[in-house]
Amino acid sequence: MSEIPLPHTAKRLVPWWLLRHETMLAVILLIALIVLGGLNSRFLTLDNLLNQGRLTTEVGLIALPMTFIIITGGIDLSVGSIVGLCAILLGYSWKVFGLPLPLAICFSLLVGAAAGFLNGIVITRVKVPPLIMTIATLALYRGLAEGISQARSVRGYPEWFYFIGQENLFGVPAQLWLLLIAIVVTAIVLDRTTFGRTLYAIGNNETAARFSGLPVDRVKLIIYTLSGLMAGLSACVLVSRVTTTRSDMGIGYELDVIAAVVLGGTSIFGGVGTIWGTVVGLAMIQLLKNGLALTGVKGDATIVVIGTVLILSTLVASSLQRRREGV
Amino acid sequence: MTTDPHGDAPAVPLLAVRAIEKSFPGVRALSGVSFDAARGEVHALLGENGAGKSTLIKIVSGVFPPDRGEVLVNGKQVDLARPDDARRAGIATIYQELLLFPELTVAENIFMGHAPRAGLGRIDWRAMHEKTNALLASLEIHDLQADRVVGSLSVGNRQRVEILRALSQDARILIMDEPTAALTEYDVTRLFDIVRRLKARGVAVIYISHRLDEIFAIADRVTVLRDGTHVATKRVIDTDAAELVQLMVGRRIESLFPKMTVPIGQPVLEVKDLERRPLTKNVSFTVRAGEIVGLSGLVGSGRSELAQTIFGVTPADNGEIRISGQQVNIRSPAQARSLGIAYVPEDRGTQGLVRPMTVRENFSLAALGKVAFGGFIDRGAERKLAGDGIKRFAVKTSSLEQIVGKLSGGNQQKIVLGKWLANEPKLLILDEPTRGIDVGAKAEIHRLMGELAAQGLAILMISSELPEVLGMSDRVLVMREGRIVAEFSREEATQQSIGAAMMGSHENAEKAA
Repeated sequence: MSEIPLPHTAKRLVPWWLLRHETMLAVILLIALIVLGGLNSRFLTLDNLLNQGRLTTEVGLIALPMTFIIITGGIDLSVGSIVGLCAILLGYSWKVFGLPLPLAICFSLLVGAAAGFLNGIVITRVKVPPLIMTIATLALYRGLAEGISQARSVRGYPEWFYFIGQENLFGVPAQLWLLLIAIVVTAIVLDRTTFGRTLYAIGNNETAARFSGLPVDRVKLIIYTLSGLMAGLSACVLVSRVTTTRSDMGIGYELDVIAAVVLGGTSIFGGVGTIWGTVVGLAMIQLLKNGLALTGVKGDATIVVIGTVLILSTLVASSLQRRREGV
Repeated sequence: MTTDPHGDAPAVPLLAVRAIEKSFPGVRALSGVSFDAARGEVHALLGENGAGKSTLIKIVSGVFPPDRGEVLVNGKQVDLARPDDARRAGIATIYQELLLFPELTVAENIFMGHAPRAGLGRIDWRAMHEKTNALLASLEIHDLQADRVVGSLSVGNRQRVEILRALSQDARILIMDEPTAALTEYDVTRLFDIVRRLKARGVAVIYISHRLDEIFAIADRVTVLRDGTHVATKRVIDTDAAELVQLMVGRRIESLFPKMTVPIGQPVLEVKDLERRPLTKNVSFTVRAGEIVGLSGLVGSGRSELAQTIFGVTPADNGEIRISGQQVNIRSPAQARSLGIAYVPEDRGTQGLVRPMTVRENFSLAALGKVAFGGFIDRGAERKLAGDGIKRFAVKTSSLEQIVGKLSGGNQQKIVLGKWLANEPKLLILDEPTRGIDVGAKAEIHRLMGELAAQGLAILMISSELPEVLGMSDRVLVMREGRIVAEFSREEATQQSIGAAMMGSHENAEKAA
């Protein structure tokens, strides 16, 4: 019986890291870059790429905590509405309440965190499924934003406020620094800390995580609050970039964010995912949009291409998953 | 082609499996396994986890095809490419996880997919109910109505519905995978009654179980598998438990229950008037250092609920818990853990382990505080923790990065035990510590329990297996309907005394009536 190999000694024909979703996606991204770059000389320029980084920051800042949430098997559909609500409150509190702008920024961040905290508290205490709770607050927060703004936009912010959204710092768009810092911090938290480990444990088996004495509810509360806070930050960056505040800001963000996270290999069923995957997913979506637009593909066709890429990546992911589980 | 069901295997058995081979990537699951079953025979399949029993029955029920070898029904080779082919060949399988529709009625479940039809493709409800009643009557089941919703039935009754479903499809070969794993003793006797009736009708039953006493009670022949090979096929009357265990594990198990006598120390856990409705009522008891206290009772008597109340999963409403003399108010598992309580839950897969995660990650899950500094996990310390655990508990795994779900049940259970002992608890609560694991791993877990008690750990062990309770416990508590109804010292405890306390005399009277 000694000649019978044990299940785990299955030989790998290819190294594990090559089979990882993130690696595959990065390879596809590289190929797409080369093809699109060949079709259009303006695409593969440093200026264009940095500008795309600027445009993707608002979605990117939200995609990072969304990665945490989806890893736990949850979802937050209210992020787009929180962006709208925070943007409106930023403008409103500055213009109407007369708060100094820095205080108005803090206030809008605080509102974002509170909106996320409300999601988290209902999800953990009342045990409302995240999908239902955040669909409800998707409507609620957007309604608040529209009610407060009464379809008036706020303009004329002081010049210094546009720095974060429009200027460069050391040759790189200012808001991209924010995103880079957030990426590094979230990646370290997810990969190296007990907090990150708890996220994976919750996503893979919430009951066992609870039975192991992990602070499941507290961790969930933190990530939904963080999601709201980052949506608030994203709102500030957005307002600074487009110089105006309107109540329809951030509509549809939740779909862009979730698309990037899932494209990056995070399982919608929870338990699997990395920040690096999300970063590659973000880059993929933004560069495809831009590359196709520059090549003269119309907007609606671009959406079709992105949808197709998403389906293909899901197929690759599930086949990898099956291979891992040896079914 | 009639054969005497009580004789030896006839020339043409009802089911014959010939030289089956099956490999999965990297694993040889079965190499040349053969066995057969005659009409009216109960043929037991026995083997440790990973011996190939599950693979074998999945091949016979058409879940996946063999690489080599053949399956014959009534002497004719059948091609079992899909589960539907097996059904057509008269083979029905009852898995451990019953595959029923809880929202539908008994009759609807039985006739799902082959309901009697009236004109225009409508379902003939009357015929369906009549046929259901006829099936119920044929097995003399009188406490089950055709229009009951399956979700409201006990596990035993649900299993009966599955059996009836198989019979409604004219199954001649019935495969039962650990049918008694979740049954109460009363349901086990009823199941045996049904199996005997099926036998009398000429149905061949393939019976898979870890419990040797059941095999002796019900089977005619037994086939032992080990590491994917056929070890022996014996008539049950020609063999005994010791021989079967030896065939299964390939070595002799010295003693199944090596509880040593060790000095009993100070009380570690004192529970007084603990309440958590509906299943924990007014419970008081004490567990001392070095002591193993067995907690016995029927399924549903509130044993696991009591354990989970002590562990803070469902905090108590009323009453007192003292740990080493200190009164505590436990509101969460995290708090229980910091007080030195460890709980190895009943359900490894959903409560004990995070199966898709690695051995290393599972080992450290309840002891992250020990390997993390300022919230950052020290990978080196974590690997050392897991590596030490693997050595201490002799876990068979290829590496620390192995996915836990791929290990055998016994190895998984050792990891649950190991992950809790990494915290160096004072009190260990074990809930069905050896359920569904093979004899070899069971003996190892019993040996570990003995050692841990000798080191001064207080152990509260919930178990539905009376021999285990009797063998391991210094004292036995019996629960019924959420209360502790009896306490026996090691000397007083017998199968009869515990059994009687578990059932309660009035329940016995009901059953006799």
